[in-house]
Amino acid sequence: MEKAEILEVVKNHIVDTLDDIDEDSIDPDKSMKDLGANSLDIVEIVSCSMRELKVKVPRSELSNLENITQLVDLLHKVVNEKAA
Amino acid sequence: MSGEPVKIVGPDDGVTELWLDDGDKNALNAPMVEALERALARVGEDRDTRVVLVRGSDEIFCSGGDKQMLLDIASGKVHATDIMLTRAMIEVPVPTIAAMQGHAVGGGLVLGLACDVALVAEESRYGCSFMNMGFTPGMGTTRLLASAVGEHIAAEMMYGGQYFRGSHFAGRTQLNYVLPKAKLLRKARQIAARFAEKPRGSLELLKRSLSLPRRRAFEEARTMETMMHEISFAQPETRALIAENYESQDA
Repeated sequence: MEKAEILEVVKNHIVDTLDDIDEDSIDPDKSMKDLGANSLDIVEIVSCSMRELKVKVPRSELSNLENITQLVDLLHKVVNEKAA
Repeated sequence: MSGEPVKIVGPDDGVTELWLDDGDKNALNAPMVEALERALARVGEDRDTRVVLVRGSDEIFCSGGDKQMLLDIASGKVHATDIMLTRAMIEVPVPTIAAMQGHAVGGGLVLGLACDVALVAEESRYGCSFMNMGFTPGMGTTRLLASAVGEHIAAEMMYGGQYFRGSHFAGRTQLNYVLPKAKLLRKARQIAARFAEKPRGSLELLKRSLSLPRRRAFEEARTMETMMHEISFAQPETRALIAENYESQDA
């Protein structure tokens, strides 16, 4: 699975979860907090993305991420490890 | 941690505010549960209190049982005594108003729903995380949630463990108000002031009568929930899920 597809999944869940965001305004180099997401918004976005991608990443690995790109990179790694 | 995790403010014209504020997540750990029980008993006995308004911080109303408490329950060290907190809230002899401007999760949500009036914020999140950690809901959730949000939404929340935005509840539940966070406390105080104009004796009588279905629902819930906990907390995967759930939550 390509990174771009994973970014698309994450973006979709950001739009679904935060009522007032449109997809074009999401800059992957920013954090979800920058988009106005609170801590439980982020828990929802990440858990919905993982569910769709059929992977599970421990919370401890998610906690140090600084922006959406880093989340996508991590999910990309885990998705491809699982596929291998 | 800044001393007492529950502050009692008032009574001011009959309104006493209970402020959950441990400087952190307002989790239901032993000090918080004890402080809440003490505070509820104290305001109940105070003849100058005619309404109790319960609030948390701007960010978090109450995040429910903390990791240590849940692991202690799972290992049998502690019994789910915090369940009595729900009953203590229902049995406050005067009307109670939950001003939930911050997130409320699990036991923290049901604590708010045990109040007579409940307000939630559009942008905060509310959910039942029990099953995410592998064990069945507690603290009266299995009965009290449905009376607030309806059976089907309650079922979705208890099976799913998702955190709904407050705005999700607008127009489809029994919650009194779904408001922007910035307006919520003011509204809750207006409601409280209105209630507080009435004589304490009559407020007490009406409270006793109106809270009867909730008291009954709680007792029913408790019977089943205790039984389900004995089984679900003993499942081997539950401990691991509890531990995992409380690893850092800031992605």
